[in-house]
Amino acid sequence: MTDAAALERGYRRWLRWYPASFRREHEEELVGVLLAGSRAGQRRPDLAECLDLLRGALWMRVRPSVPSSRRQVFHAVRLLCFGAVVELAAAVTILATVGDVAARVPRGDPGLTDGQWHAVVAGHVEPKAVAAFVAVGFWLWMAWSVGRGRRWTRTAFALFFALNTWSLLDGLASGSAVYARADLAIGSLLWLIEVAALAAVLRLAPSPRVD
Amino acid sequence: MVKRAMQEATFLILTALAAGSQHGYAILTDVARISDGRVRLRAGTLYSALDRLRLDGLVAIDREEIVENRLRRYYRLTAEGGAELAAEAARLRDNAAAAFARLGGRAEGTGA
Repeated sequence: MTDAAALERGYRRWLRWYPASFRREHEEELVGVLLAGSRAGQRRPDLAECLDLLRGALWMRVRPSVPSSRRQVFHAVRLLCFGAVVELAAAVTILATVGDVAARVPRGDPGLTDGQWHAVVAGHVEPKAVAAFVAVGFWLWMAWSVGRGRRWTRTAFALFFALNTWSLLDGLASGSAVYARADLAIGSLLWLIEVAALAAVLRLAPSPRVD
Repeated sequence: MVKRAMQEATFLILTALAAGSQHGYAILTDVARISDGRVRLRAGTLYSALDRLRLDGLVAIDREEIVENRLRRYYRLTAEGGAELAAEAARLRDNAAAAFARLGGRAEGTGA
């Protein structure tokens, strides 16, 4: 396979992240632009190109179907996308701090047996990590829905906010060794973004549904 | 409602199209030239911006060509896009004039 053919295949692989409607209209054109801007001998997309295409694909999937003169909608969608990014960082942080949490559990309750200790760590960390990854999808779904004027988004996001607030308070009230400092820091940041996003979503004027 | 300043990338894309229609890669190189190499858009960013500008009615597809078996789509500024660009250029010019007036002699040596 020639360099150009390998590179084109690489670009097309990344373009799969875009919505089908966008690819139907722009894939051939965009591949031409990417190849025209590539370096001599380049065989695969570089990191910056991949991140740019990924960001473009994400935005094309959630971008509002309204003119940008409706700035409040764009503001809410950007905030929800930012929330998804921070939620992903929170999920990674939870996984990265499992060791810290595990080390703190015996200090919190030295009477635990090995089996109980494993159960405590697994019972707290794993559901939180899974929930955080699911929540990334939820944030993006909310962004998509807000951009299309779905009215139920307000209720859904308010419930999500209430659930997360309850979960955060419950975790703090129970003690708790089940949070590492980094988890608490990013959890607090995420909660603040949720407050801002909820305010932005509630502030939106009702608009006709746009598909 | 107070109108917000246009983002620099948007301003440069519209400026690139102000002299005539251009295809995607030509817009990228023109934006780099206009900004003296300071702004280098990537393809994903350009097409997100073009999508939004088309939705806003500031840019439209002009024509398509096949060059070396590759599709080339040319974009042009609409009348509304030209008006928006002119208004933004005037705003920037007025702001720059005010800044230079207040800087007086201190603006020397900045290429102004």
